[in-house]
Amino acid sequence: MQIFTCPFCGPRDEREFHFAAEAGKTRPDTTGEVSAETWATYLHAQRNDKGRTREVWMHLPCAELFLMERDSVTMEVFSTQSLRKAPQ
Amino acid sequence: MRDDTALWDVPRDPTHPIALGPATLTPVQLTRQTLVSGPNVLHQTDLPLVEWPGAAPSGPYALALRRDRVLQVNAPETPDGWNDTTQQATSDVTDAYTVFDLTGDALPLLGRGAEITPDIPSRSTARLLFGLGVFLYRLEDATTYRLHVPRAHAEALVKHVETAARLRAR
Amino acid sequence: MTLRLPTGGLIDRSKPLHFTFDGKPFQGYAGDTLASALLASGPRILGRSFKYHRPRGLWGAWVDEPNAIMSVTLQGRTFPNCLATTTYLEDGMEARAVNAWPSAQFDIKSGLDLFHRWFAAGFYYKTFMWPDWHLFEPMIRRMAGLGHVSPQHLDDYSSDQTHERCDTLVIGGGPAGLAAAEAAAQSGQNTLLVDDHATLGGTAHQLPEIDATPTPDWIAARRSAIEAAGGRILTATTAVGIYDHNLVGLAQSGPFGTAPRLIRLRAGRIILATGAIDRPLTFANNDRPGVMALAAAAEYLARYATLPGRDIALLANTPEADTIAAQLTQAGATITRIDPAQNPLSARGGKRLTALQAGDRTHPADTILASGGLTPLVHLWRHAGGKLDWCEARNAFLPGTPPQNMTAAGAANGTFDTDQALEEARATGQNAPIKRPAPTHRITPHWPTPGSPGRQWIDFQHDVTLKDVELAARENYTSVEHLKRYTTLGMASDQGKTSNMPGLAAMAAIQGRPIPEIGTTTFRPPFVPVPIEMYHGPHSKQLWNPLKRLPLEPQHRTANAALGDYGGWLRPGWYGTGDPETRAQSEARMARDTAAIFDASPLGKIEIMGPDAEAFVNFIYYNTIATLKPGKIRYGFMLTEGGAVFDDGVIARLDANRFVISCSSSHVDSVRTHLEAWRQDGNDPDRIFIHDTTQHWATLTVTGPKARQILDTLDLDTDLPHMSLRETEWRDTPLRLARVSFTGDTSFELSLRASHAPALWDALTQAAKPLNAGPIGVEALSILRAEKGFLMIGKDTDGETMPHDLGFPAPRQKKTTPFVGDRSLHTDKANAPDRKQLVGLTVPSGTPPLPTGAHLVTEDAPPRSLGYVTSSYHSPTLGRPIALALVANGTDRIGDTVTAWHLGETRQVTISPPCALDPEGDRLDA
Repeated sequence: MQIFTCPFCGPRDEREFHFAAEAGKTRPDTTGEVSAETWATYLHAQRNDKGRTREVWMHLPCAELFLMERDSVTMEVFSTQSLRKAPQ
Repeated sequence: MRDDTALWDVPRDPTHPIALGPATLTPVQLTRQTLVSGPNVLHQTDLPLVEWPGAAPSGPYALALRRDRVLQVNAPETPDGWNDTTQQATSDVTDAYTVFDLTGDALPLLGRGAEITPDIPSRSTARLLFGLGVFLYRLEDATTYRLHVPRAHAEALVKHVETAARLRAR
Repeated sequence: MTLRLPTGGLIDRSKPLHFTFDGKPFQGYAGDTLASALLASGPRILGRSFKYHRPRGLWGAWVDEPNAIMSVTLQGRTFPNCLATTTYLEDGMEARAVNAWPSAQFDIKSGLDLFHRWFAAGFYYKTFMWPDWHLFEPMIRRMAGLGHVSPQHLDDYSSDQTHERCDTLVIGGGPAGLAAAEAAAQSGQNTLLVDDHATLGGTAHQLPEIDATPTPDWIAARRSAIEAAGGRILTATTAVGIYDHNLVGLAQSGPFGTAPRLIRLRAGRIILATGAIDRPLTFANNDRPGVMALAAAAEYLARYATLPGRDIALLANTPEADTIAAQLTQAGATITRIDPAQNPLSARGGKRLTALQAGDRTHPADTILASGGLTPLVHLWRHAGGKLDWCEARNAFLPGTPPQNMTAAGAANGTFDTDQALEEARATGQNAPIKRPAPTHRITPHWPTPGSPGRQWIDFQHDVTLKDVELAARENYTSVEHLKRYTTLGMASDQGKTSNMPGLAAMAAIQGRPIPEIGTTTFRPPFVPVPIEMYHGPHSKQLWNPLKRLPLEPQHRTANAALGDYGGWLRPGWYGTGDPETRAQSEARMARDTAAIFDASPLGKIEIMGPDAEAFVNFIYYNTIATLKPGKIRYGFMLTEGGAVFDDGVIARLDANRFVISCSSSHVDSVRTHLEAWRQDGNDPDRIFIHDTTQHWATLTVTGPKARQILDTLDLDTDLPHMSLRETEWRDTPLRLARVSFTGDTSFELSLRASHAPALWDALTQAAKPLNAGPIGVEALSILRAEKGFLMIGKDTDGETMPHDLGFPAPRQKKTTPFVGDRSLHTDKANAPDRKQLVGLTVPSGTPPLPTGAHLVTEDAPPRSLGYVTSSYHSPTLGRPIALALVANGTDRIGDTVTAWHLGETRQVTISPPCALDPEGDRLDA
C-alpha cells in the first residue's frame, strides 16, 4: 500500500486516492474544427510509460486534483504538485 | 425483487452512547453545521481553524476540509447561496453529517480504520476511516476524538467501530 | 520408545498435554509443537506425499517442513492443513495426517506409488486429452488437493486488522535480530522486533553460550535492554510480505483456532534477520521417513529436548555439522559421519529407515541427517524488490543490491558465524555502514547429479523428482518459471522453501550452465500460508460495502416495507407482505387511481455556486442550461467525454449564481467526482464551488391525480407550474417544493431537512389514508416510469448510448457552446445508421411480459441480434405487458413486427414508441 502526498492534506495512504488521467493532455477547442484523429488521440491514446510518469490524481477526501510524478515500476513517488495557479 | 430487510440491523437510536470496552462512542447534537467555500475561506474566518489532529474549542469553530472549504460548527446562521461580497458559497448541512465523540482508549480503534497517527499533522480533517468519508479531529482535551460522518453512513461507522473494539479485545 | 531427553529444552515438563494422532493417544508438553511431541513419542510417518502417497516423516522443525501437514480438531472445531512443525500443542488436540486414509501409517492409496512411471511431470496434460478432459476432471479433482475444508461455519473466526508504524522493524528474533533491535532501540529509534516463534531466541537456543554468557541469560538481557530503550517485541508474529512503500504485513497468531491478527505495519526501515534454512541433499529415496535436515535436528534437540533418532548417519558439508554432531552424541545418539561426495548414495528401508548405502558400503541407521548447506531466507528481500547475488564460497544466493530502507544481517545475509553476525547486526541496528564479513568456511557444492540412478526427490510435498526435472528439460521447459509450472516444483504450500535451490541447481547441471545464470523463480507473499480470513477481516455482511441508510428507515420498517439494495441505498422495494409482484402491481394501480407517496431522499442535491456556475453547468450538461430562469427546472443529460450518457436528471436554478443538480440516486458520488474533476481541470476553481448537500435533505414525492389534495391538507400552496421550484417553509423549517414528474401524473417533490422528515412523512401518509392513497416502493415506481417510457440510466442505457439514441437530438445539432462529450457526438460511430435506439415493445394482452434481456433478432439464418429488452413489466393501468428496448435503428422500425428470442424460445413483438401511457401528457396537469 503506497503513501501519496496530497499537496493540501499531506501524506495519506493510497486508498484515499483515485487516478484521474495521464498528465499533459489538453482538451481540443471544440468551438472550432477538431479532426477525428485529434479527438481520438485526446480520448484514447495513453503513453503507459514504464518508469517515470506524470499523472493527474484526485485526493478523494478533499477532492484536490494534483500532478504526481512517480515511477510506474518501483512505485517511488518523486513529487506531487497542486494544479492551482497560486498555491495558498 | 428480493426482500433483504432481515439482512440489515435496525439502525440504532442516535441519542444513546455506545460502550466499546475501554472506549465510548457518544452521539453529539450540534446546533448547526455550515459548509462554506471560497478562494480565501481559510483566511477569512474569525473562528478557530481546526486541522488534524487539532484542538477544537467548546465554542464555535471551523474545520479545515479543503484548500478552499471549511465546515463551520455551531456558528451563527448565515444565508445559503453565493455571496458576491465575501466571495463565499454557503450551504446549511446540519442534517448531512452525524457527529460522534470517541473517548477513552480511542486511537487503537481509529488505527483499525485507517493508517492514522496524531504525529503526522494534516491541514485537513477530511479522511477515509473504515472506507467511509469522515471529518476527524481532537477536542481541546486532546483525548476526545470527534467524528462527522455522512448521515447515511452513520450506522455503518458505528458498526465498524464496534467490530473493531470486539476484535481488538480478542 | 521415547526420544525425549530427561532434561533441557524449552518445554515445561510440569504441564503434560494429551492429544491423538490418526486416532492413537500421545502425550507431549507445553512448549511442544505437534511435530516435536510426535517425534519424541515414536511415530515416524506423519504424512503421505501428494501424488504417490509415499510415507513421509519430518524434514524440518519450523516453516520449511514440507511433509507433516495435519487436520487438527480442538474443542469440536476442525482446521485443515496445519503444519505440524509450527502448530503449538494444546491439550485435547486430535490430529490427522492429510492425504492419507485411514492413517499415515496404512494409507489405502499407497499403491499409487507402484505406478510412478506413468505419473511423471505432465502426466495429466498428456494422458487425459482424449476424448475430453472434462470426462476425467471430476475424478482427478477428487484425488488432488491437500486436506478437506470443514463444513462447520465458525462465526467467531474473524481476523482483527490494524495499522501500526515504527522507525525500525527488525524481522527475526534470533541472535542477529536481538542484537540489531537492541542497537536500534538504544540509538533512539522507535523499534519493533517480531519473531514467528512463541519464544525469542531463534537458533540461539542451539548454542550453550553467547558472548560468554549462558544463552537464556543472554536472550533475557537483550529483551530487557530493548524494552528498557522503548522498543517493542511481538512474538508469534510472522512477517508474511513486504509491499509498496515499506508496508509490512504481519500475521500475529493467537491460541489455536483463532484467526490471526493482520498488522499493516509502516516501517521507516527494515532489518531482515530471518536466518537461513538447510537445503536437502539429493540422493536415492531421500524422501524416506527418518531423513531429516541437520538444522532441524539441532532445533528439536535445543528447543524440545528430543533426539531425531538413535542411530544417525550424518551427511553434511557444513561447519555447523561438527557442533551438532557433538551435541547429539552427548545426548546419547550414535553418529556415523559420511562424506556426501560418495556415490551413489541411497536410503534403505520403507516405512522405517534401516540404513544408508554409500557406494558399496551399508551403514545401518534409523535416521539420516542431511545438509547441503544453508540457504538464507531472502523471501522478504525479494518481495521488496532487492536483488540477489550468487556467492560461490557459500554456495547460496545472498542479498545484493538492497531495496529502499532495507538491510539484511546475520544468517539472512549469509553471515553464518555467530560472532560475525552479532557484530554485523549491531552495526546495522545503529544504522552504521558495514561490509558483509568474509565467510569463515567454503562450502563444497553437492548438487543433484543428472543421470544418477534411483528416485531422488527434489520437491517432497509435490512429489517432483530429479527425473521429472530431466524430463522437463528434454521437453524444453528449461526456464525456471516454465520448469516450476510444468512439474509444479515449488508450487506446494511450502512454496519451495526446500525444493527451489535443488531444482534450479538440477536444471543448471542438466544444461551445463552456472546456477546464477539459471536464476530463481519469483518470491511472492505470503511467506507462509495464512488463512484467507486474515486478508478479509471484518469486511463482510453489513460491513462489506455498507449500504446507505435513509432518514426514514424506521418509518418504512413500521410500514412493513420490504427493504433492498437499490443503487447503494437500502430502500423500500414494496410495502406489506405477500407476493412482491402483486404488491408492486397494486401500489402502481393506487398511484394512478388516487395518489402515492414515494421516498426519493437519495436523489442528488448537488449545489453549484459562484460567478462561473452558469457557464460551468452549461459546459457539463448536454442540454443548454444557461437559458434556465431562476425558479425553473430542466431535464437533461451529462455525458462522458466519449459522448455516452453518464447521468440524467433535473437541474434547478435557485438564483443567478446557484444551481441544484438532482442526479440519479445511485450516481451522487460519481457525479460529484465528475464535477470536481472538470471544475479543477479546465475551469477556474476559484469561481465555481460544488456542495454535495444530498444527505442534509430528505425528499418525498407525492404523485397521482389526488396529489394536490394531499398537499392541500398540509397547507402547502400547490399553484406551481410543471418544471418549477419554490423555496418555502413548512412548520417553520425550509421546504423546497418542486414540480417534476417521473410518473407522468401530477407530481410534487417536497425536500426538507432530514431531521424533519418523520413529521412530513406522518403528515403526508395521514392525509393520504382517507383518499385511499399511500406509500409505494421502488418496484411500483419502476412500473410507473416505464409506462411513460422514462428511462433509468444503466438499465435502459448502456456504455454506448448517446442522447440522440434516446430521442434527444436537438443540442447535438444546435448547441453552440462547448460541452463535455460534444465532439464525440459527431464521429462516424455516432452517425452510424444502425445505432441502438430506445423504443417500446408491444405484445398482445393476455401474454406474459417479455423477459428482460431477451434479444430481438433478424430472420436470417443464423439470426442476428438487433438489440435487447431493457425493462419489462405488466402494466396494471393498461392491462397488458409493456417493455422498453434498445434496438438498432429502432425509431425507424416503429410499427414493425420482429422476433424476440430468449433461451431458445421466440415470440412476435411490435416495436412502438417508448411512451405507452398518455402520450399527450394530459395526466400531468389533471
